[in-house]
Amino acid sequence: MIEFKNVCKKYPNGTLALDDVSLKIDDGEFVFIVGESGAGKSTMLKTLFREEKISSGTLIVDGYDLRKTPNRKIPHYRRNLGIVFQDFRLFPNKTVFENVAFAMRAIGVPSRDINRRVPTILRIVNLQDKAKSFPRELSGGEQQRVALARALANNPSIIIADEPTGNIDPKLSLEIMNLLIKIHKHGKTVIVVTHEKNFVDYFQQRVITIKDGHVVDDKVGGMFDE
Amino acid sequence: MSKKQRSRYSLGYLISQAFKSLFRNGMMSVASIAVLMSCLTVMGSFALLVYNINYNLDQLGSLNEIVVYCDTDLSDEDVDAIGRRVRLMDNVNEEAVKLITKEEVLIEERQKYSEFTDLFDQMDQSGVNPYPDTFVIQYEDNNKVSALQMELEQIEGVHKVQCRADLAETIESLKNSIIFIFMWFLVILFLVSVFVIINTIKLAVHSRKQEISIMRYVGATRWFITTPFVIEGIIIGVVSSGIAYAIEYFLYRTVYNAVSVNYGMIDIVPFGELQNVLLIGFAAVGIITGIIGTSISLSKHLKA
Ligand SMILES: Nc1ncnc2c1ncn2[C@@H]1O[C@H](COP(=O)(O)OP(=O)(O)OP(=O)(O)O)[C@@H](O)[C@H]1O
Ligand SMILES: [Mg+2]
Repeated sequence: MIEFKNVCKKYPNGTLALDDVSLKIDDGEFVFIVGESGAGKSTMLKTLFREEKISSGTLIVDGYDLRKTPNRKIPHYRRNLGIVFQDFRLFPNKTVFENVAFAMRAIGVPSRDINRRVPTILRIVNLQDKAKSFPRELSGGEQQRVALARALANNPSIIIADEPTGNIDPKLSLEIMNLLIKIHKHGKTVIVVTHEKNFVDYFQQRVITIKDGHVVDDKVGGMFDE
Repeated sequence: MSKKQRSRYSLGYLISQAFKSLFRNGMMSVASIAVLMSCLTVMGSFALLVYNINYNLDQLGSLNEIVVYCDTDLSDEDVDAIGRRVRLMDNVNEEAVKLITKEEVLIEERQKYSEFTDLFDQMDQSGVNPYPDTFVIQYEDNNKVSALQMELEQIEGVHKVQCRADLAETIESLKNSIIFIFMWFLVILFLVSVFVIINTIKLAVHSRKQEISIMRYVGATRWFITTPFVIEGIIIGVVSSGIAYAIEYFLYRTVYNAVSVNYGMIDIVPFGELQNVLLIGFAAVGIITGIIGTSISLSKHLKA
């Protein structure tokens, strides 16, 4: 479970990016986060994976009180999260297989286990035939699926995606969204920041709207209204 | 999969990562090995030079000699009496009290100034030997030498006492200033080496920035992220010290041969006596510089 209680985030330059945010996200929920540019959406995700520390309030994720968790415990905390970015962040000189395997190697998973698990995960994102391809040989949608596969590699319970379709041809965006829904249906908590009004309206999930660092709207089956 | 197997697997992976990084930053790795190697060679040569200078100075200083000149008008018995007294004195090495009689001095001088035979012939004719009987005394303790000198001067029939203590003192202070300069030199070279390593590793970190950020996102521990860089730093250190040692070996041999042929009076310590210290010193400095340089460049780049 994720719980924000009166969370504020002030950047060192004085920008108040999150201002008294309180909300709960239950295990297995699917949540869209919407809001205009500069509203604080990315900041919210960054506090979740502790890229940024919150300035005040309480943020508890799966029992970790993130303001009090010492740095040395953060790596283990992060293994419970899968993160996807707008710009994929794949390694251009590694194959699809190696890009996914990298997430496992980075936490010391033995090769034998990696060789077994990567094909399974590639199957989930429907890229089993592209294991040996390099990112430049793939479409934007396929590249984002590789990134998603990497996020899933260590079987996290929470998937966080910051504008996952932002760099993708609109025609291919739908398959990414469908994939995220599919992952949610397999029991994972999925949090998606997006600007895509069509999808938000279409999928009828919980929608949290942020404006100037405040939560201004939070309803299930919500619509995109700015 | 047991935990032990797992960590052994990881270590292999981390070491292979370190080598990959070394090759990926080929030019920079070569450059930093070259610089560290040069620093070590200069440090090593300087250390060996200082060691040899000190060694030679020590030999000079260890003469531990006092020369006693007697009055020229003493009888042989008087001279023997002085000799007996001196031998019984504190701080005097009994076995090493050597009398050079005035006759011996005369013979020595005659040989030295063979072109002035007429002068010595004149002396023979007049039966006057103007040279003093001389005792060369070796003493044991450098610190008590001035007391000994005073005692000797008080003996009846002693004309003059000449001590080498001033020389020993000069040598001592010379040694100290050499060591002082040497230390500063070492510190500066060490800082240069650390600086070079810092930049190499910074570059390595920079070229793997994305990799590092992904590693952090998927929950790699700090240990796992930093170890390849530390290993990289150590490899640079070890390779540099190995090459520096080889260079030093040939350099020393060349200098040794040249000096012992041309300057017999200079005593050079054989390389064999120094090689272990040198090797350990190089390896230690190389590895420590590698680790310190790496740690400094990483601390800025990696938070949690
Ligand atoms: N590292 C930072 N240092 C200082 N200010 C920052 C930093 N990151 C973001 N901000 C500021 O915080 C506010 C919120 O930024 P954030 O990136 O969270 O917005 P966003 O909702 O993700 O916007 P977008 O839709 O454009 O991605 C903005 O005013 C931004 O300028
Ligand atoms: Mg953003």
